[in-house]
Amino acid sequence: MRRKRLVSLAAIAVLVLGLGACGGDDGGGTKEGDGEVTIFSLWGGSEEEAFKKVLTQFTQDTGIKTKYEAARDFLPVIRTRLNAGNPPEVGILPRPGFVDELARDDALISLEDLGLDVDKINENYGETWTDLATFEDTTYGVVAKANSKSTVWYKPNSFQQNGFQIPKTWDELNQIVKDYKSKGDVPWAVGAQGRDNSWTLTDWFEQIYVRTAGGDNYDKLFSGELAFNDPTVKEALGEMLKNVNDQYVLGGIDTALSISFQDGIARVFGTTPKAEMYMLGGFVGGIALGANPSLKPGTDIDFFPFPTIKEENGDPLVGSGDVAAAFVNNEDAAKLIEYLSTPAAGKIWVSTGAIVSPNKGVTEADYPNELVNKEAEQVKNAESFRFDGSDLLPGTLGQDFGTLLQKIIKTPGQMDSLLDDYQAEAEKAFS
Amino acid sequence: MATAEVTVQRPARTVSERMVGFLTKSPVHLTLILVAFIWLVPTVGLAITSVRVPADITGSSWWSSLLDWRYTLNNYDTVLSRANMDRSFVNSLIITIPSTLLPLTIASLAAYAFSWIRFPFRDTIFLMIVALMVVPIQMALVPLLRLFRDMGIANNYGGIWLAHTGFGLPLGIFLLRNFFITLPRDLIEAARVDGASNLKIFLRVVLPLSVPALASYAIFQFLWVWNDLLMALVFVQNSDLWPMTIRINQIQSQFGIEWHLLSAGAFLLMAVPLIVFFALQRYFVQGLLAGSVK
Amino acid sequence: MSSTAVPGPVGRPRGRRLPTFFARSSWQGFLFIAPAVVFLGLFVVWPLIYTITLSFADTNAKLKIVDWVGLDNYKTLFTDDKEFLDLDAFPPTGAFVNNLKWVVLYTTLSLGLGLLIAVLAARVRYESMIKAVVFIPMAISATAVAIIWKFVYDPDPDIGSLNALITLFGGEAKAWYGRADLVNYALIWAYVWASTGFAMVVLSAALKGISEEVIEAARTDGASEWDIFRRIQLPLLSLPISVVTVWLLINVIKVFDIIYVLTGGGPGGASEVIAFSMYDETFTNGEAGYGAAIAVVMLLLIIPIMAFNIRRFRSERVIT
Repeated sequence: MRRKRLVSLAAIAVLVLGLGACGGDDGGGTKEGDGEVTIFSLWGGSEEEAFKKVLTQFTQDTGIKTKYEAARDFLPVIRTRLNAGNPPEVGILPRPGFVDELARDDALISLEDLGLDVDKINENYGETWTDLATFEDTTYGVVAKANSKSTVWYKPNSFQQNGFQIPKTWDELNQIVKDYKSKGDVPWAVGAQGRDNSWTLTDWFEQIYVRTAGGDNYDKLFSGELAFNDPTVKEALGEMLKNVNDQYVLGGIDTALSISFQDGIARVFGTTPKAEMYMLGGFVGGIALGANPSLKPGTDIDFFPFPTIKEENGDPLVGSGDVAAAFVNNEDAAKLIEYLSTPAAGKIWVSTGAIVSPNKGVTEADYPNELVNKEAEQVKNAESFRFDGSDLLPGTLGQDFGTLLQKIIKTPGQMDSLLDDYQAEAEKAFS
Repeated sequence: MATAEVTVQRPARTVSERMVGFLTKSPVHLTLILVAFIWLVPTVGLAITSVRVPADITGSSWWSSLLDWRYTLNNYDTVLSRANMDRSFVNSLIITIPSTLLPLTIASLAAYAFSWIRFPFRDTIFLMIVALMVVPIQMALVPLLRLFRDMGIANNYGGIWLAHTGFGLPLGIFLLRNFFITLPRDLIEAARVDGASNLKIFLRVVLPLSVPALASYAIFQFLWVWNDLLMALVFVQNSDLWPMTIRINQIQSQFGIEWHLLSAGAFLLMAVPLIVFFALQRYFVQGLLAGSVK
Repeated sequence: MSSTAVPGPVGRPRGRRLPTFFARSSWQGFLFIAPAVVFLGLFVVWPLIYTITLSFADTNAKLKIVDWVGLDNYKTLFTDDKEFLDLDAFPPTGAFVNNLKWVVLYTTLSLGLGLLIAVLAARVRYESMIKAVVFIPMAISATAVAIIWKFVYDPDPDIGSLNALITLFGGEAKAWYGRADLVNYALIWAYVWASTGFAMVVLSAALKGISEEVIEAARTDGASEWDIFRRIQLPLLSLPISVVTVWLLINVIKVFDIIYVLTGGGPGGASEVIAFSMYDETFTNGEAGYGAAIAVVMLLLIIPIMAFNIRRFRSERVIT
């Protein structure tokens, strides 16, 4: 009796599955919007406020209302909503790697399909930036914001007191670290807890690797042509471990792995500081000032560019950016994407001091404070530019790279086997 | 209890006898005091943190603040407005109440039939339904997403109401049927002889007599849904519909670990369950005991 | 006819015709259970079958099936997924192994502590207060429990009560959820803290059901408290103990919230458990087929536990 029931249930199951499988996507043509566009990203705090200013102006200009949503688990939410047929109209993808993946599965609407003039939009950006939003020669989005990541944050008054000069080379920086330590100060704070903060370690690695192994190797490494257990990788890791270790990091590796990057920043620039320097991207300034508004840029907080390590590899800039792309093909989404690509939007955005705009139409005059201005200068004048490597990796490889580094700083002795394992995973992902 | 009674019934004890009695029992007292400490301190610590000024929290420990006595209710205000916890509170209610009432209704109807109506395969079906208690929610996440999409309810509460109802039924039916069956047979028989229909018997005889069991299940299901995280993560997609369990996770990462917000948020999250617990403890415990296989 | 019949003993009575499908009581019965059956069929049974089927497939970013792969998902899960099960490392690691740690530690601790507190509390006047205090965590959500313990485990001794206590006694503050070797124990203890109340309440009720006279008699016969506990109380508690154990074991397999909130599976995946892997694979990595395989594994682990429970209940004549 039961068996018969099971068999008939199974038959129904196959039927139902078959029915379920044919829920097609909306076919061609840009539809009319409903007067409101939903935008989804993982920004909160000051980034969110800055972005909302842009959205407000958009509404004023076009009359289209906006609804902003954010979640820390960007991918799971996007996936569930895609699966439920309920995606946000526009999403700000934190990694260009996502553009490839989502475009490959037809989840994104290309700029052309949205009815936009692709060439005109791409005029606003340099090629490096438009490449990020492109998959197989079709452009799917616009680079919404950018950040330099080749910045080391420090306290100028502390440097002055100790007689330190801004280090131009890696050796000089390492000397400052030793000097801080011998004076009883803690040179670094690191916040790399869990899945949400492991990317900060990838930033460390990338800055070092591009300077020790060179730009070409960097490109090869993050496109799968060079193995992750290559000696150049181990060399860069060695240099990284010279600083990210129990001796020089606040609370040791254990604490580094239990606090978020915002906490780490607070431990250097907060009201009860416990460490001296923080290695992370240009957005640290905004976060630090948010946590401790009494900081004076230039005296209490500033950054210097990441120093050179091997002279022949010079001073490349490693940066990152977010891509705004449309999930739904309607006019509201198209207009928003178009608006975000304009210099006008860029100007509003940077006036908040939160971001650097890759938009060619945005000039120095638009930046409100010296820190962001300095960062924008750095981006503009970079002798060579590389995009954040882990953000370029496909699938979950980028996230896993962060996890790999967490394990390496915790158990450096196992570096070789950990790299071998990761390389095996990478080979699969790139194939 | 028995031990205490025995000692009391003995003739009057001398001071030294009493002291010996206390000393031999003091390991018990000490252990229990330690237990109380372990079970209270974590929550109390968080509670005190939730009313401290943010700058103080990272500067000094919460127990030292008992000496300073510098407290504020600002954190609650901030977390309610800035972090949208007020809306999430309402959302939690909107999600939980139907997810409790609906399974309660459906389960009691079914439980009545399983107890007092004869029909073929009754007990087999009952066992199969009870067996469904093994199914973990994980089995349903992806399929229900697709189903709700096809039903067109993916972007509102319809999905999570239906999902919670479905998953709450096996336990409810099990619980209520086991209670209904203990009702006096004569009452039901008498009603039948009087010509009452099943529906009338259900409404007029069975339900009124079953209020404790219904309450137990309702409270148990209410708390289960109120405290749920995973189903909400998957089925409540739009962020303005998020219940408190999800919202509080957002506080966690967007602002780093801002303890002044997180602690206040946690207590808002705990408020309703704690009230239910203190007011309706008996029913809750009963529901939990009977549902010990959920 | 059947409308006046009342339910007799369970099972088919011999020598009497079953009520037919068309008898009035029969279709009324079906009507009463119809809503339940429809709901269960749509929202529990169909998903169950769908997921099992899905576990034999591969999906794309939009969670749609693109390929049938047979048992590959299961094979990969147990042989090629270091986050799930890594037998190369010694001792073995992985989400599956973590669940085993949970099974042993969480179950024995919750049960043991629950029993201990039930027994001790019974001997003091403030029994109901103690029991209430221990039981409260059962009412609040696992999310709240996770936040409470994240606070206790904070690496900064000014915030984390545990580290404050340790440094008070001259020890060194530890990163309880930052270290892969400590994080699981930290999580397990937090959940034990939340679950002991349940064990305590069940066992306490059961203890009170043991007749006083038997205990009295044993006492006057000169039996020690320990003897009484071991020879009289414990055996009579075997059914409640197995009920609690079953509940705890099922909890272990389903545990998710506390890990999601406290550590997000970190550091480096060290605290992942099966239920978390399922969510991760399905919704972060987009591998719904793989995630479905994990869900099926969960189901396969729960079924024997429940079967044991039901058989136990039947033998003790608690249900049908």
